Amino acid sequence: MGVSSMKRLVTGLVLLLVGVLMLAPLVWLIVQSFTSEKAALGLPPGWLPKPFTVDNFRSIDGLIPFGRMALNSLIVAVISTAGSMLVSVLAGYAFSRLSFRGRDGLLLVMLSALMVPVQTTIIPIFVLMRHLGLVDHLAALWLPALINVFAIFFFRQYFNTIPRELDEAARIDGASHLWILFRVIVPLSGPALAAMTILAFEASWNNYFGPLIFLTNPKNMTLPIGLVTLQAGQSGASIVVFAAITAVVVPVLAVFLVFQRSFVASIASSGLRG
Amino acid sequence: MTATIPLDRAKRTAPDRPRHVRRQEWAGYLFLSPALLLFLVFVAGPVVAAFVLAFYQWDLLTPARFNGLGNFSKMFHDPLLYKALGNTFIFTAASMVTHLVGGLLLALGVNRLKNRFLSYFVRTSLFFPFVISWAAVALLWKYVLDPTFGPGTYYLHKLGITPPNWFVDPSWALPAIIGIDFWHTIGFTFVIMLAGLQTVPKQLVEAARTDGAGEWQILWRITLPMMSPTIFFAAVVTFIGAFQIFDPIQIITPQGGPDNSTVSIVMYLYQQGFESFQVGYASAVSLLILVVTMFVTLLQFWGSRRWVYQA
Repeated sequence: MGVSSMKRLVTGLVLLLVGVLMLAPLVWLIVQSFTSEKAALGLPPGWLPKPFTVDNFRSIDGLIPFGRMALNSLIVAVISTAGSMLVSVLAGYAFSRLSFRGRDGLLLVMLSALMVPVQTTIIPIFVLMRHLGLVDHLAALWLPALINVFAIFFFRQYFNTIPRELDEAARIDGASHLWILFRVIVPLSGPALAAMTILAFEASWNNYFGPLIFLTNPKNMTLPIGLVTLQAGQSGASIVVFAAITAVVVPVLAVFLVFQRSFVASIASSGLRG
Repeated sequence: MTATIPLDRAKRTAPDRPRHVRRQEWAGYLFLSPALLLFLVFVAGPVVAAFVLAFYQWDLLTPARFNGLGNFSKMFHDPLLYKALGNTFIFTAASMVTHLVGGLLLALGVNRLKNRFLSYFVRTSLFFPFVISWAAVALLWKYVLDPTFGPGTYYLHKLGITPPNWFVDPSWALPAIIGIDFWHTIGFTFVIMLAGLQTVPKQLVEAARTDGAGEWQILWRITLPMMSPTIFFAAVVTFIGAFQIFDPIQIITPQGGPDNSTVSIVMYLYQQGFESFQVGYASAVSLLILVVTMFVTLLQFWGSRRWVYQA
């Protein structure tokens, strides 16, 4: 065996170990949540669900309205993602294709907002939501998420790479800007739309800071804050919490496995362009 | 875009702008109006409001009182704020070093793998934790490191290491959260680095190899310099994410850890604004976060001109 193939073998083994270590906590979590309450959390740690049970999942709904919370998460994620994509596509088109006074200045102002952390705006937004009576409403979460400056900029950059001859041809045929945007530009922007949609959905689905501040009634909570509320209500370790975390995590991982390629591509593309 | 600017300018200054140009102006504002309205209400307005609130004393219930520079002078003499800043800088420095070095090494390693299945397995398992919400990750790790039933504790004992009681020991609570953050976000840095690695021209590496350059030389003289824009981007993003760390801290140590050893600057803002309802003071703290974030981001962009390779 040569030196270089030896090196390759060592690299492979080290990376295999790293991969196993990364997965181990998740495997342990999932195994525990399918283990009967008496046998779970034993030492040495169990790596097989023996005896197997799904009872732990049945107990979740008695403690938190899990289904309702999942629905809330979905509502917020869908509205904020779809809404912000629409708003951003329109703005991206304006910045890429239309000329009007103050365009470049406005773009610059918006871009500088990328440096503004959520924490700076959260207090005034909380005060505003209180005035509007939207505290403890899902709208307090999705309304501010409709503005997505990064997506606007990303779409503008992407639209700029689409040849202008295409929309000029459509314009000569009498097409309106809306028609050009949705029939010419958007269909050619699949990868950019996919990337921004995935990132926006993920950000909303996993958001903890917003729900922590705005939501108080368990019926109105989204999953992340619901999980933490469930755990806080238990004295000591409770296997129900494991089941609830599993119920939140496994569907997400399954969706990720299906869309892995575009998900990873979206992260990479946002990095290399941004 | 740059090519069209002079053309527009000419159009704008012409006394009689053709009708389609005027129509385009309207279309521009119309298309931009939803974004602009939302931007004013949820970004620009709140930033201005945060500046104003920072000069007031307000508990959200009684009327706000003008407080001049009171909040700012209070910040200067607030030992807890200094503690929070110190914790945040330790966390940020540790996070940047571990993520950038770790992400780069992992990307270099995975890039060498010939076995497709192994490569898929490593890439997927590295990225899995990043997909999961912080809430689930934080709760999970609280259990993994539990002193009685946690498998982390159990296996460390097996290796002959007696682990500290992580979230009770003031000197170990923050390092534990640094470790958990690494597990959660390394996949992100890794993906960025791996994508950056693909942009290094293969011919350049091949040419260096034929000229007799060793692996080490190729890494330092070609791969890393060619990857510098990626490394730079990863550094900026890691800094901003780490400086604003909040979720795992609030979930694992809701009171701020033993001896306030885990209170980050954003955690402090949360405690002041949403637990003690010192809205004015919290706004002043939020301005500090804003200023530091902007300063470091601009500094990094400025510094990057010295060492980032511009294609």
